[in-house]
Amino acid sequence: MKDMKNRRFIYYVTVCSIIMLACLDALMLGGCSENTASDNDGDGIRLRVVTYDNGNVPLDAKKVIAAANEVSQQKIGVTVDLEFQPSDKIDLMMASGEYYDMVFTSSFVNRFDKNASEELYYDITELVREETPDLYRIIGDYWDCAKIDGHIYGVPTLKDMGSENMFRLNSDYFEREKGMKIPERMDFADIEPYLKAYKEDHPSEYPLEMSKGGAAGYLNFLERIVNPIVVIPYTAEGEKPRAIAFWDSEELMNRFRLLHKWYMAGYIHPDAATIDSTAADKTIPVRWGVAWKGYQGYSNPSDWGFNVKTSIYDGPYISRTSEQGAMFGICAACDEEHAKACLKYLELLGTDRKFRDILGYGIEGTHFEYLPNGTVLRLKTGQDRYNTRLYLTGSVVNASVESVSTDFLADPNQWEGVYEEYRTDGIYSRTNGFTYDQTPKEDIITALQAIYSDYAAELRTGTSDPDEVIPKMRKRMKAAGMDELLEDINSKLDEWIE
Amino acid sequence: MFKRKKPKQHAGFRKETWQLTLLAVPAAVWYCLFCYLPMFGVVFAFKNFKARPGEGLFKNLFVNSPWVGLDNFSFLIRSSDMPDIMFNTLFYNVVFLITGIVIPVFLAILLTEVHGRTFSGMVQMILLLPYFLSWVIVGYCLYGFLATDEGQINHVLKIFGAQAVQWYQSPQYWRGILIGIGIWKSMGYSMIIYMCAITAIDRSLYESAALDGAGFFDRVFNITLPQLRTTITTIFILNIGSILTSDFGLFYQVPLDSNSLQPVTQTLDVYVYKALMQQANFSYSSAASFLQSSVGCLLLIISYLIINRMNRDDA
Repeated sequence: MKDMKNRRFIYYVTVCSIIMLACLDALMLGGCSENTASDNDGDGIRLRVVTYDNGNVPLDAKKVIAAANEVSQQKIGVTVDLEFQPSDKIDLMMASGEYYDMVFTSSFVNRFDKNASEELYYDITELVREETPDLYRIIGDYWDCAKIDGHIYGVPTLKDMGSENMFRLNSDYFEREKGMKIPERMDFADIEPYLKAYKEDHPSEYPLEMSKGGAAGYLNFLERIVNPIVVIPYTAEGEKPRAIAFWDSEELMNRFRLLHKWYMAGYIHPDAATIDSTAADKTIPVRWGVAWKGYQGYSNPSDWGFNVKTSIYDGPYISRTSEQGAMFGICAACDEEHAKACLKYLELLGTDRKFRDILGYGIEGTHFEYLPNGTVLRLKTGQDRYNTRLYLTGSVVNASVESVSTDFLADPNQWEGVYEEYRTDGIYSRTNGFTYDQTPKEDIITALQAIYSDYAAELRTGTSDPDEVIPKMRKRMKAAGMDELLEDINSKLDEWIE
Repeated sequence: MFKRKKPKQHAGFRKETWQLTLLAVPAAVWYCLFCYLPMFGVVFAFKNFKARPGEGLFKNLFVNSPWVGLDNFSFLIRSSDMPDIMFNTLFYNVVFLITGIVIPVFLAILLTEVHGRTFSGMVQMILLLPYFLSWVIVGYCLYGFLATDEGQINHVLKIFGAQAVQWYQSPQYWRGILIGIGIWKSMGYSMIIYMCAITAIDRSLYESAALDGAGFFDRVFNITLPQLRTTITTIFILNIGSILTSDFGLFYQVPLDSNSLQPVTQTLDVYVYKALMQQANFSYSSAASFLQSSVGCLLLIISYLIINRMNRDDA
């Protein structure tokens, strides 16, 4: 009897262990099987393309990609598995050596200069000229921003190549109600009377949009070498460019002072430095924006409940950083066949408008429709289920221009005007092409980043007084090796200028 | 436990007990897979890890990445405020080490004296509930109280005519707030352990003590606490192993990463997170956690030896 009990007991334990091990196995194999997705699949090449999206994977992504794959399979024999991943996932993917074919890379997410100088991307200098001459031609001068030591490691996405910062104002209130004029351009400080007027009418509200990230693109008027700590101000011709700590930019300090003044005056929410997002509060009358001339996305009255007018206060600043706003890098581990397929795919996105609109806007009739003037209107399904920003999926310039409503039409040839403006009014960086390899000083930079994040949110929201806080931060940063870093950057910069 | 019943046997494998030993197999497998197998990862801390895409982890780690000795630790020393960071880490951990034992023991003793079952169950549940909330939720609930404009506390202050306080910009209050929140969240859980230990104490001890005229405090100090000593020591040893590790959620999520509060919220984990958030550098982060674990391991061994010396039975 006792024997039987024992046996049954052993039986149970064994079964349990086997089940547990089987589960573990399944988990491990499940994890591995993801890697096989990018294999050749019969009659065409299938690519694993990873693009960036901060947490909002479009609901209809699968359907749209399938529709795009049908077209691309037929035209060039290439299909894609397009994944939308947040920035930290992409960093992890790059750092752990995971396989992909093509990845979103830029100056702000998955940093191109760092990865390219470590040769994580395929050197396409020769390949792009031979295999995809059309792609090579349309990108033209902008290839420079994808070069490291003369080699091309990425494909820049043609979009707004310079950065223009603007205020987005409630024109119903300011123009119609208060009789104030909203000019096309103004200075940063000129926004003050608008804020004052609104605050007087609504004492318990805060007229200037602000969350812990600060004003959108608040550093765009500086070229950032070690973002956001070391910058090079745009200089006039003949002046020698120098890398400086951000606190040495008088212009930036003045803006911090102004923001602090506005904060104290009650124009900015007292908890701005701890607020994640202000998107839910539609009443805020002055918002920040980074876009280009003619961009309508900020101005749809049905989004806001009032008419919006934009007023540019900065730019367009054109630098390596701004040109690298969106790019694609091809994995260094790709064989030539896959690298070619990647380029072919990007070429198709850059030259075939109908195809480009699929990945950009979705399926015609379901997600968007063409308007008579050639622009695109997103339908309700498209707004809810495939509302992704254009630059994440390829060329923006080659996509149709979006109108925000049928009675508020955009100019279908908007981009010609934008590029014309870059040529005439653009403020160009004198150090375009200079890259600084951060690896040797990485420990200093890491320590500096930690110190910076102790003050950043309160500085850029105006919460703290820069004249009080900056000296403290400067002392700590100097102790952590700021001078050593600046010296190193400047000596590299001098070498580069010569 | 079963070993005690057969005092003549030596520890180790015996024919009579092998089924019971078998019970440990799943746990042993788990520890091998998830604790011992990944230990090779400490190598990360001494290498400049550079992954080449498409190549396996082992090749990337052992072949492609060069040895750099202790270089990866230098970013920890680079920061001139490492003393402050260390002070914060140790300060909070020592406070939690003490309060994490004193308060739950106190509560457990009080609760076992409550004889109404419903009431005692309700109190237990209320005390335990916070343990299951995530720090993010706790952080936002706290924000509901402390927000400058809409916060409940400032509303109350205004009713009494006092100035509204900008809580997230006033570091002087936060050591207290953080300790309070930390205790509030964890005490219910640790209390349960002590309550179990108390129920295991032989009731006849209390009865005979009561017959001899011992009051409540006499019973607590002469019966309950001595009987709890083993449990308390175990928990103490377990906690001292994580003396350099702090609860990231408590120190980063709860203060909403507010800049002004940094002097009182910056612990080692928070610093490492902030420093590496932008860098995604595996080698640096494993260097930091290697340091934490080795200091913890060292302290654990030392405290074990000390306690072992003091009383062989407890350890």
